[in-house]
Amino acid sequence: MSTNTTNSLSGVLCSFAFAGVITALMTAIFIVESQLLIAGVLLGTIGAIVISSKFGVTSIILKSLGENENLSNALAVLVTLALIVIFYDDHYVLFILCTILLYSVTVLGLNIQLGYAGLINFSGAAFFGVGGYTAAVLSQYHSIPPILTLVIGGIIAAIVGSILLLPILRTSGHYSALVTLAFALLFKVFLDVNDSLGGAQGVDVGSFTLFGWDFGNDITIGSYDVSFYVPYVLASLVMLCVVFFFVRRIERSWIGLCLDSVRIDEVSSSCFGINIVRWKIVAFTIGNFVAGLSGALYASILGYISPANFSFGDSLMFLSILLLGGIGNLWGTIIATAIVVVLPEKFQVIQEYRLFIYSTLVLLMIVYRPVGLLPRKTRTYRPGESS
Amino acid sequence: MKTFNQKIAITCIAVAVMTFSLVAAPNFANAKDIVKVAFIGPLTGGVSANGIGGRNSAELAVKVRNEDPAAKYTYEFVGMDDECKPNVGVQVATKIASDKRIVGAVAHYCSAVALSAVKIYHRFGLPVIVWGAVHPDVTYGNKFNEIFRVNGTMINQNETAAKFMTSNGYKKFVIINDTTDYGKAHKEYFSKFIVENGGEIIESFGVTADQQDFTAELTKIKKLDPEVIYFGGLTPVGVRIRSQMNKLGINAQFEGTSGLKSDAYIEGLGDLSEGTLSFIEGAPLEKLPGGEFFSSEYTKVGYDQAAESYGPFAYAAMNLLLDTIEEKGPNRKAVVKALNAPAEYDSIIGKIDFDDHGQNTVAAISKYVVQDGKWVLWEDSEYASGKRSLKK
Repeated sequence: MSTNTTNSLSGVLCSFAFAGVITALMTAIFIVESQLLIAGVLLGTIGAIVISSKFGVTSIILKSLGENENLSNALAVLVTLALIVIFYDDHYVLFILCTILLYSVTVLGLNIQLGYAGLINFSGAAFFGVGGYTAAVLSQYHSIPPILTLVIGGIIAAIVGSILLLPILRTSGHYSALVTLAFALLFKVFLDVNDSLGGAQGVDVGSFTLFGWDFGNDITIGSYDVSFYVPYVLASLVMLCVVFFFVRRIERSWIGLCLDSVRIDEVSSSCFGINIVRWKIVAFTIGNFVAGLSGALYASILGYISPANFSFGDSLMFLSILLLGGIGNLWGTIIATAIVVVLPEKFQVIQEYRLFIYSTLVLLMIVYRPVGLLPRKTRTYRPGESS
Repeated sequence: MKTFNQKIAITCIAVAVMTFSLVAAPNFANAKDIVKVAFIGPLTGGVSANGIGGRNSAELAVKVRNEDPAAKYTYEFVGMDDECKPNVGVQVATKIASDKRIVGAVAHYCSAVALSAVKIYHRFGLPVIVWGAVHPDVTYGNKFNEIFRVNGTMINQNETAAKFMTSNGYKKFVIINDTTDYGKAHKEYFSKFIVENGGEIIESFGVTADQQDFTAELTKIKKLDPEVIYFGGLTPVGVRIRSQMNKLGINAQFEGTSGLKSDAYIEGLGDLSEGTLSFIEGAPLEKLPGGEFFSSEYTKVGYDQAAESYGPFAYAAMNLLLDTIEEKGPNRKAVVKALNAPAEYDSIIGKIDFDDHGQNTVAAISKYVVQDGKWVLWEDSEYASGKRSLKK
């Protein structure tokens, strides 16, 4: 037992140190502007990761983070809060933080579908968009409280998704993927020609108001002018925490067990009395609900949405985040989202070549680490038990 | 365990020191007389040719200014990509608007992106001159002091068209428009300006963008006997209407919008296309007041890509921004105030005069007529010189 406690003590220290390093790193990445420094920070980070995995530091960090799960989760929230405090008046950085948090939420939704139940969804951005457009429509009625707007956004997305259930359940494998692909294209065309939703030009989304306080106004605390994005980042953070907790619970419960089983082998699952249709419906609907939820908040932050935001390409981006992070791994998802959102933004300095370099990086990643950054481990029957 | 912990500690400290030194570094690199100006346009994606042309043109204006020894400041050009997507547009708009070192920007080719970003510029008080987006609401949909636009809109196009037609003695108009945003907006603005100029819209017909047969509409139109049939829509429908007009023996002048002016219109109709009118934003480079200067400077720098039709607008917008900064100093508020004051500016695209919404009211609109199987500028045509005449 004594070795165990020292183990966890060093683990705690290690986790804290790691959180500090991540905060410093994110701060550095957000601050640097010139081409040379960006390249320096990125190469430095990659170098540090390579060196630390050579010396086995990476595995120690991962192990200590894994040992103290509650602490790790708390530290992640702390890192985000620290970043909010550091950049309290930098609108741009806060907006990027919002984007990371909300994209993470959406990809967590896709994680339930693809990572657990094995349903590939090529229309993630469409359900994200359903939430967004719901918020746009609801924002015309000021009496609806923001939280209700978000929930309704999620519910509408789940309802729209249920239209797809029949064809998806009737088909399997690649064919059900094609159904979602068709829906992604259909959704954009529908928005393009639908005048009441703004058509191809897009539509305004009103900002949140809560008890007469407009989320769109800057806040002054003492002598500090705090960006109006801070409440939005906090709201996004809360949403991510809630969804993360919820998805983690699903994964570890018997529901997760059933979903995993459906993914791995449908035939033997049904032999064991697992209702495959039911679990596919559950996973698909929850996933869409989560995507709609985050879409509604994202649209409110953006203030203006148009069909171009929710194209098939964006759905592919969500899926690529999932693949990059490691399918089924929640932390992998969040890290991958941060990379996918921040890198192209940082590459703005090289203008039209930015997507080229960014895609090259992603390609290299896929070639050298096809399982994703943090692959999901084989689950233990009950979490906490050693396998 | 100790060695492990030492390793961790050393690595952590090393990484922390490295990152912090990088954080601290940029703070030493600020020179006094550098003023930053930004450009936003679609540099990647489907319309990137226009975006890159605009970017090069705006950058050219900065380069020319920096070579001028009389300039008070050294200008640093910041180019940004909005991908023609509103969400990316909001990101880059937030980025440049919240960067206090950036004094002004020349932004947006895509209307949807411009519409989503204007709120942000207003919030941060950043003066922005739009160089390509044509939707009227970019300037007229708000009362933001910070937003200006050098290029014309559908409104300017129809104003020019209506003035031109009425001054040529036409009074009775029938409108056919397709039922897209484009067609509907054209109908709205053309009607408005025709009435203002003393003309009369007898009737208007909405048609779908893929309609094949217009016999019903055209039979009614024949009874109404208008002098002009105005068509707000794109080439394919225009070709069908014009040819069916001929079959039914309607002898009215046919007039289109920017969506009609394409070579496909002439190819589809042959001789029937003769005498059709069309109005479009912008002008051929050689017709612009500073077109020659612009194209010689553009080739001198040696850009790989063409400036495209909106390049001169981007150049003029950036030049106007730089002029204002030279005069009023690198201060956002001063620039906004100066641009809002009534004044006329000379530029390579002709005079620029902003109305109270920041819209350039003397935006260049070109009139074209089909002559011998070619779209010819009205002023150069035999119709203008009196050799040929339009239908009466």
